[in-house]
Amino acid sequence: MSSVWDRVEPLLGLVERPARYVDSEWGAVRDREAAYRTALLYPDVYEIGMANQALAILYERLNSLDDVAAERVYLPWLDMIEAMRSAGVPLFTLESVTPVAEVDLFGITLPYELTYTNVLEALDLAGLPLRSADRHDGHPLVVGGGPCVYNPEPMAPFFDALLIGEGEQAVVDIVETHRRARARGALRPEVLRDLARIPGVYVPSLHVPSGVPGGLAGGRGTDTSVPVVTKRVVGDLGEFRAPVRPVVPYMDVVHDRIAIEVLRGCTRGCRFCQAGMVYRPVRERDADAIVRDVMEGLHCTGYDEVSLTSLSTTDHSQLEEVLLRLGHRLQGTGIAVSLPSLRVDAFSSKMARLVSGPGRTTGLTLAPEAGTQRLRDVINKNVSEEDLLGAVETAFASGWRRIKLYFMIGLPTETDEDIRSIGRLIANVQAAARAATRPDQRGAIKIGVSVSTFIPKAHTPFQWKGQIPRVEIDRRQAVLRESMPRKGVDLSWHDADVSVLEAALARGGREVSGGIEAAWRAGARFDAWSEHFSLDRWTEAFSTAGLDLESTAQRSYGACDVLPWSHISSGVSFDYLWREWERAIEGHVTPDCSFESCTGCGVCGTGGLGVEIVLGGERRGVR
Amino acid sequence: MASGEFRLRLCCGKRGRLRFLSHLEYSHAIERGVRRAELPYAVTHGFNPHMRLAFGPALPVGTAGEREYVDVWLIRYVPVKQVVEALTSALASELAPREAAYVADKASSLGASCTIGVYEAVVTGGGVGEAEMSHALEDVLRGGELRVEHRGKSKVFDLSVSLPKEIAVTSAGFHEVVVTVTTRMGPTGSLRPESLVAHVLSRSGITGAVTLVTRLDTLIEDENGGFRRPI
Repeated sequence: MSSVWDRVEPLLGLVERPARYVDSEWGAVRDREAAYRTALLYPDVYEIGMANQALAILYERLNSLDDVAAERVYLPWLDMIEAMRSAGVPLFTLESVTPVAEVDLFGITLPYELTYTNVLEALDLAGLPLRSADRHDGHPLVVGGGPCVYNPEPMAPFFDALLIGEGEQAVVDIVETHRRARARGALRPEVLRDLARIPGVYVPSLHVPSGVPGGLAGGRGTDTSVPVVTKRVVGDLGEFRAPVRPVVPYMDVVHDRIAIEVLRGCTRGCRFCQAGMVYRPVRERDADAIVRDVMEGLHCTGYDEVSLTSLSTTDHSQLEEVLLRLGHRLQGTGIAVSLPSLRVDAFSSKMARLVSGPGRTTGLTLAPEAGTQRLRDVINKNVSEEDLLGAVETAFASGWRRIKLYFMIGLPTETDEDIRSIGRLIANVQAAARAATRPDQRGAIKIGVSVSTFIPKAHTPFQWKGQIPRVEIDRRQAVLRESMPRKGVDLSWHDADVSVLEAALARGGREVSGGIEAAWRAGARFDAWSEHFSLDRWTEAFSTAGLDLESTAQRSYGACDVLPWSHISSGVSFDYLWREWERAIEGHVTPDCSFESCTGCGVCGTGGLGVEIVLGGERRGVR
Repeated sequence: MASGEFRLRLCCGKRGRLRFLSHLEYSHAIERGVRRAELPYAVTHGFNPHMRLAFGPALPVGTAGEREYVDVWLIRYVPVKQVVEALTSALASELAPREAAYVADKASSLGASCTIGVYEAVVTGGGVGEAEMSHALEDVLRGGELRVEHRGKSKVFDLSVSLPKEIAVTSAGFHEVVVTVTTRMGPTGSLRPESLVAHVLSRSGITGAVTLVTRLDTLIEDENGGFRRPI
């Protein structure tokens, strides 16, 4: 392996925030001698990527294997990319400053659609051919993973393989399979065939698009011409400890704290939520393990804040006990415990007292999602206005002064009345907050409202429904603005252009890859950074590839249509999703199977994911 | 200071790759190291409690430091040797402490009292030699003042005030010299050694560039004009 540090160092005086590129952080694994080397890329800048828990897990897991090393890679910011290209410096790993092209496996997470062009930028900066078909035996294996792989087709041609699902064990299988294949002298096509035999691994080059508009065959899983790849899951979360020695960054990064995952999966069943569907089933870490990992993690990192992470942390069956125990252990240290996602209906006054420190200063975030009970029933967001106002009252009476509320527009069946009701609901929240706050402190009340445009995602009950048209997004945003209270509310909404692109990239098939490559060749990079985003450039790029961006975003499917992602299974059956779609239209809610009876999503039991699920905590044995 | 707290002064490094940390990044790193070392640090008593720490004058991003000072307040006395050992094992080697000492409660703050910086600038290039650099420097010093442009702002330094000691130039090898500069730092700005050397190179036409700047020492200037270390 050849370090390019001598060529990188002179560039650091020319760029902003050089700490992004210097490594040497506490917890980084350096100087590891290993015959098999991997590089793990987060396709955005360091300060965004360092917060990614999945890569932290894989980094620790791979570095624990004999003779295997994992190093981190982030996409350099534009000034550094320019300096590197001018100086002929290729994309490098942070730890050993090795060119990425020299490693054995290049792992890339796909966290959200707007990073797709960054992946191409990284491949190109590394000196690797963009498309799998153009890579040969001398190139690293390029393997993807992460949330976006549940519709892998738009990015499929750029990857040799994609891991669907959880990586703790699967990543070991991939590395071992690759090493065995190479040891016997297997060439790339044979390596790829070996990889395709690993449960959860999708090798796009072995799946030929059927020519059906929209992607590959397999509508509602009924087409047998293409094998279905079912996601990998870890049956027992307790089998793998949360990383307690993560890399501690020097520079300010998003979520700059230690994160201990307390719960994986969510069965609340919100019908718009892809994470809630694809990360099933629910598995908990028990209270002893959480307290142990928090204390060890704080000791090893020196952080002053710990976040108990999950899709819905207040659903943890032992959360109050955990908070109580941590409160005692951390008293007088200035160390805070925060919960990233709070359920409106699970936010009790006891919980409010137990959450300490910056939680109160930085504010509370709640997500009612819709303005009327009717629409909340459609999306199965089982919270009432009474729940919301109760949570607000509790929070403000407990010392919070800032609250942020998340809503969506463009949900199926939405009417203008639903949108106007968001404004009415916010007015009621304002009144509740004022009533619970001492008169002399009411000036400090801040209410933020963030409204995004709904993007129908793969593997959700709304997957068959296209996004609302671009002009309709504008009209509904105008209705929203008019309905908001005039004073005391900080309203923000997602850029409609960005939402349209996200929908096109989330809902398209393999043909969309041409549009992505054309956009990158036209200069698209860092699309998630508003100052670098241009819908015109994307529309033109799609057109170059013979596609229409807006109609890709708006395309709806029928019950028996082939979906571009039909050959990928999250374990949740399409029959269940279709039933949920029908119940949504009828306005029927579906209960959380963690607390009530099984709703038949298909994840558990025989025919599910093929592993024994350990629920953990006090959920053990509920089902 | 709350009664019963102990003010401990650390002398740490900021070397190697970690010279590219900003002052804020450096301060976070030290703070986290103190926690990892499990020192009994004192916490402020405000709405948002945090560790009581105070730093000496900031280093520019890219400039290394051999003796950077930090005050940390402890709620329990810990022998200095034990502090140094604990911090050495809890910080990256580039930041590890050289020494530590308890200082009086009433001692002036590091920020206010450390007004002298001793720097070493490595200058490399085809035209660089000890004699040429020395002559070129003398020429600039004779001018008495130096105008420096930085981030669109212009500032004029009185060299007799900004440079309280004679500058030394020593050969460090083929086409490489080390310029040792002592500067006076103040609330209105400090002359950066690389600015001075860059001006000397540009004015004299010597082909070369500053490749590394290190602050060797951070000193306190006493009433008689003498310099001493904060520990």
